[in-house]
Amino acid sequence: MEKLVLFIPFIPIMIAILIGFLNKKEHMPKVAIFFSSLVALLALYGTYYVMSTDEAIYGFGGLLVFNELSAILVPYVAILGLVIRKYSTKYMWDEPGYKRFFILLNFIFSAIYLLVMSNNLIILTIAWQLMSIALYLLISFNVESKSAIKNGGWTMLVHKLADLFFIIAVILTYKTFGSFDLAELSQIWLEMSANPIDDPSIYAIGFLFLFAAMMKSAIIPFHLWLPYTSEAPTPVSALMHAGVVNVGGILLNKMAFLLLLTPAVLNVAFVMGLITAVFASILMLAVSDIKRSLGYSTVGQMGYMIMEVGLGAFSLAIYHLMVHGIFKASLFLESGSLINQARKDPNVPKRLSSEIFWKEKPQYNSINMFRMIAFFTVLPVIVFVGVKLLLGEDFFHFNSATLILAFAWLTGTQLFLSFFEVSKANSPKVILALISSFIIVLFTYEFVGLALEHFLYGKHGALFYEVATLHVSGTMTLLMLLAIMIVGWYFTYKQHFVGIPIGEHKPNKSKWRIYKMLAKEGYISDMYVKYFKIF
Amino acid sequence: MLLDIILLFLFAGVPYYVFFEKTNILGKDKVFILAALLVIVGMIVSNKFPQEISMPVIIVAFIASLFSLYKANKTTNLYKLTYYILFFNAPLLIMFKTKESILYGIALLVTLLGVYLMGRYYERSYGSANYQSVSGITLVTPYAGLILTIYFTALALYPPFPNALLFLNGILNSDTHVMWYLVVIVIFFGNFLIAMRVMAKTVFGKPNDNVHYIDVAVKERFVHLAIFTLLLVLSIVGLGELL
Repeated sequence: MEKLVLFIPFIPIMIAILIGFLNKKEHMPKVAIFFSSLVALLALYGTYYVMSTDEAIYGFGGLLVFNELSAILVPYVAILGLVIRKYSTKYMWDEPGYKRFFILLNFIFSAIYLLVMSNNLIILTIAWQLMSIALYLLISFNVESKSAIKNGGWTMLVHKLADLFFIIAVILTYKTFGSFDLAELSQIWLEMSANPIDDPSIYAIGFLFLFAAMMKSAIIPFHLWLPYTSEAPTPVSALMHAGVVNVGGILLNKMAFLLLLTPAVLNVAFVMGLITAVFASILMLAVSDIKRSLGYSTVGQMGYMIMEVGLGAFSLAIYHLMVHGIFKASLFLESGSLINQARKDPNVPKRLSSEIFWKEKPQYNSINMFRMIAFFTVLPVIVFVGVKLLLGEDFFHFNSATLILAFAWLTGTQLFLSFFEVSKANSPKVILALISSFIIVLFTYEFVGLALEHFLYGKHGALFYEVATLHVSGTMTLLMLLAIMIVGWYFTYKQHFVGIPIGEHKPNKSKWRIYKMLAKEGYISDMYVKYFKIF
Repeated sequence: MLLDIILLFLFAGVPYYVFFEKTNILGKDKVFILAALLVIVGMIVSNKFPQEISMPVIIVAFIASLFSLYKANKTTNLYKLTYYILFFNAPLLIMFKTKESILYGIALLVTLLGVYLMGRYYERSYGSANYQSVSGITLVTPYAGLILTIYFTALALYPPFPNALLFLNGILNSDTHVMWYLVVIVIFFGNFLIAMRVMAKTVFGKPNDNVHYIDVAVKERFVHLAIFTLLLVLSIVGLGELL
C-alpha cells in the first residue's frame, strides 16, 4: 500500500496527458484539481507512514525514495500545487492557451516531485533539467511578448550553465565513488567523514554542486534571471518564487553528507549567501519596479537559505524555504484580489494592522522610545543566550549559533516593519509588537529548526555545524553578533523613528551616486544587455 | 590512420557542405540527405572496425564543428540548419565509444529528420524553408508549434528526449581529458543556443499579419507522430543504457 506513494511524480504526467485529450475548457481544471488532491492525500499518507514507522519507502529498484526529506517537502509541494491550480482556474480563464498552461504546469510539478523523491543521480539529473525546460515554456507563456521571451532565454542560459555544472559533478561523483545511488553514496560520505581525506576531486564535486545550486537559486552573481521574469502569469510567478527557486536548497540537503567532506564549500556557501542576503535586500529597497523588488526580495531570502546551509544548519534551510515559499506565494496570489479591491475603492482598504499601528498618535519622546526598544530587544537575546549556555554549552562551540541569533533578531525586526506599516508615531504597542515578533521568530527558528534537524538527520545533525564552523574565537563571534545588532538597530531607528524634514533635506552627492547605482541594480543588468547579445 | 580519416569524413567531421553551397550542384534540401546517409555508413563502418580515434582527428572535427556553429547561428533556413547541426555534433560521434556513438547518432538523425520534414512543410506552406517572418506559430498553428517545440527541445539536449539521455550516456562512458571537456562544453551549449534561437523566432513571437498561416496537415501529423514514437523508444533505450 505504502508503495503507491512512489507514483506521485507520475500522476501529474497522467493529468497532463488526460488534459491533452479534453476539449471542454471547464473540464480541464476539474481533472487537474481532482488528481492533485489525490497527490496531496498520498503525500500526507506517505508522511504519516515515514513518521510513524521511522522507515523510508523505496521503490522502482531503488531509483525513487520517500524518505524524511520527501515527507516534509512532497506534501508542501502538493498543497502548493493544489492552491495554484485552483487559483489558475479562474485567473487564466480568458488567456489564450488555457490547455497549454495546465499541461505545462503539470509537467513542472512532475519534475519537482521527481527531484525531491529521486534516490539516484541519473534520475536527479533528468528531473533537474526537466524542471528548467518546463519553467522556460511557462515563463514564455505569453508568446507575443518580446521581453518575456528574451528574459526566458536568459533564464535558460543560467539554468543550462547550472545543468552543465551538475552533469560534470555527477560524472565526477560516479568516477570517484563508483555509484549513482544516493542512499549508498550518503553512507559512504558519512563513513568517510570520520577520517576525512584531502582529495581535490571531492572538493571539485562539492563546488560544482554548490554552484549548480546557486545558479538555480538565483544567488548573486547568477541572480538576474529571477527579478526579470515577473512577466510570467501570476500563478507561475507564485510557483517560481515558492517552489522552483528552492531547488538549490533541496539539492544541497540531498548532498549534505558529501559536504561533510568539504568544509571549504560550506564556508564559500556562507559567504556567497551572506553577500546575496545583504546586497539583494538593499536592491529590493532601491529598485523602482514593484515586481522586480519582489524578485530581489526572493533573491535575498535565497541568500539566507544558502547562508544557513553554509553554517551547517541544513534543516533550517528547509524550514526557511518552506516558510518563505508560503509567504511569497500568498503575496503573489493575493495581488489579484488587491487589484480588484483597488478598482472598487481608490483608497485601498486598510488592514487591521494598519488601523492599530499606523493611526496618528500623540508624539512620544523618541529618545526614550529608542532606549526602550534597545533594552527590550537586547534583553531577550541575553536571556536566551544565558538559558542556552546553561542548558547546553556545546551550542556555542559553533559560531553558527551566534550568527543565527543575530539574523533572527534582524529578521524579527524586518518582519515586523514590513508586515505592519509602522509609522513615526511610535507607541508602546509598536514596541510590544516588535519584541513579540522577535521572540516568535527566534523561538520558531530555534525549536522548529531543532525538531526538523532531529527528524531529517537524527544524531548526525551536529556534525554539520562542526564542519561548517569558521574557526573564529567565541569572543570574536559574540562581538560580530553585537556589531550586527547595533548596525541593524541603528538603521531601523534612522529609517522609522527619526523625523526627516520634507523639502529641506538634500542628499549629498556621494549618497545620491550610491542610490543611483543601487536603483540601477549595480549596472549588472545593463552590462548583460550591452555586452551579451545572445537572445 | 586511413580509417580515422574515412570516419572523420563519414561522421561529418569535415564541412564538405561548403562545396555544395558554393557550386549549387546539390540543392540545400539534398545536402542533409547525403550527410545523413554518410553518417549511417560511418556508423556501420565504425561498428565493423571498432577503434579509438586519434586526438588530431578529434581536433579537426572540433574546429569544423565551431565553423558549423557559426553558420547555424547565421541561417534562418530549416534545411540548412539540419546539416549544420549534424556537422556541429560530429566531434561527439567521433569521440564517443562505438555503441554510444551509434545510439546518439540515431537519436540526432531522427530528430533532424523531423526538422527536415518541417522544412518541407514550411516550403510548401510559405514558399520557402526560411522561418524568418513566420513567427508566433504557437498561437496560430498550434500543431506546427508543438512539433517544432518538441524537436528543438530535444536538440537543445533536454530530457526526457533521447538526445539528452544518450549524450549523458556517451559522456559517462568516455574517458575524460582536456579536449573532452572542451568538446562537451561547447557542444552542450552550442546545441542549446541554436535551438533557443530558432524557437524564439518560430514558436514564440507575434504572428505576422502579412502571412496566411497553414497548420500541419493530418497526414503529416501522423508522420511526426511516428517520429515521436521513435524518439520515445530511443528515450526508453537511453534510460535503460544510463541506469
